[in-house]
Amino acid sequence: MATLVNLTINGREIQAPEGMTVLEAAKNEGIFIPTLCHHEALEPEGTCRLCIVEVSGAIRHSIRVSCIQEVKEGLIVETETKRIRRDRRLIIELLLGRSPYSKELLDLAGKCGVATSRFRTGEEDDCVRCGRCVRVCRDKIGAYALCWVNRGYDRKVTTDFERLSEYCIGCGSCAQVCPTGAIRIEDRGDERKIYTWGQVIARFKLEKCTECGRPFAPKKYLDRINERAYKTKGLELVDYICPECVKNKERPSPVNVPFGGGAMPFVV
Amino acid sequence: MDVAGVNEILEKFQGVKGNLIGILHEVQNRYSYLPEEELRYISKRTQIPITQIYSIVNFYNRFSLEPKGKNVISVCLGTACHVKGAGKVMDALREKLNIDIGESTDDMNFSLEEVRCIGACSLAPAVVVNEETYGQVKPKQVSTILKQHESSENG
Repeated sequence: MATLVNLTINGREIQAPEGMTVLEAAKNEGIFIPTLCHHEALEPEGTCRLCIVEVSGAIRHSIRVSCIQEVKEGLIVETETKRIRRDRRLIIELLLGRSPYSKELLDLAGKCGVATSRFRTGEEDDCVRCGRCVRVCRDKIGAYALCWVNRGYDRKVTTDFERLSEYCIGCGSCAQVCPTGAIRIEDRGDERKIYTWGQVIARFKLEKCTECGRPFAPKKYLDRINERAYKTKGLELVDYICPECVKNKERPSPVNVPFGGGAMPFVV
Repeated sequence: MDVAGVNEILEKFQGVKGNLIGILHEVQNRYSYLPEEELRYISKRTQIPITQIYSIVNFYNRFSLEPKGKNVISVCLGTACHVKGAGKVMDALREKLNIDIGESTDDMNFSLEEVRCIGACSLAPAVVVNEETYGQVKPKQVSTILKQHESSENG
């Protein structure tokens, strides 16, 4: 067990283990801090800036991103000061300038008291450039199918050379972690497509479930599972059984999927 | 694809940490741009995912995925040059070459680029052709500059 440190969040004295972020500590205390780019399973990157808090005490009085700032002995955190609220509203307005129709963003705007955005970009999509998809694909799946291109206003998520990805395994984790639904996964018949706004990034033929015959997962994805979860244990994935059939048969999943299984739970 | 050429460059950087940028610079110097096939080969040899290489190539203005002309004209549009009328110089070049920023002439003789401050503010407005810097450029001088490089090309 890590050593506990004492800190104050919104006047409440709390204890949190060393190395924990301020965001996590606040969450444990039931204190709401809006976030977009933060995801429990991913390394924080601090891209959306929504989780800003005002800190003082143990460190210089300043505004920090709570998803990266670690707790410290004697740290004083304020999450709802006038300055924080004002800055947070501005950040939401800026995000809305790019993604004015994103339902998730509009919900957050409502929570933070933003009615309209003063910014217009002309070019609109739902992507808030949080990078969750890139991070999950790179750090958790290890497929390296997605990347950032360009800078500033032109920054976007795409594949290598902006073509159908050869490295994507079709797991759908990117779509699952996307906070705004800008990346979508669509299964139609025996085909799976993964889209970003305006671009199909990958296309797959789905393998059929050995039990019910329903197409449910791409070969590359099943191969990856075989390689990572089975072969390492000296096993081999022989049957492709879809999640529905597994549920009906009440056969528990033998593999502990670290992450990404939620999009397309696989079990045999 | 020029496997031998790329191998030669890769060998030079063997075992050097953080060598990707160096490799990309050399490849670009050799071919005037970064061809896709070469990049994929570099990815395979260095074990750096192609998406990461693509990301880096896109990030830096210096790298180009399109072939560049024999003479690269960079017009400084930094603050000082801008104030001193670099925009007009750029317009003159665009008109003269009949291409837009980031494009190359059909004969691949010239490419036109904009840059942000080359640190020659005292020479504003500045234009760099290949490695040669021209200071206090007036729109009228544009054709003379172009001619110099056209002729050096032929001679």
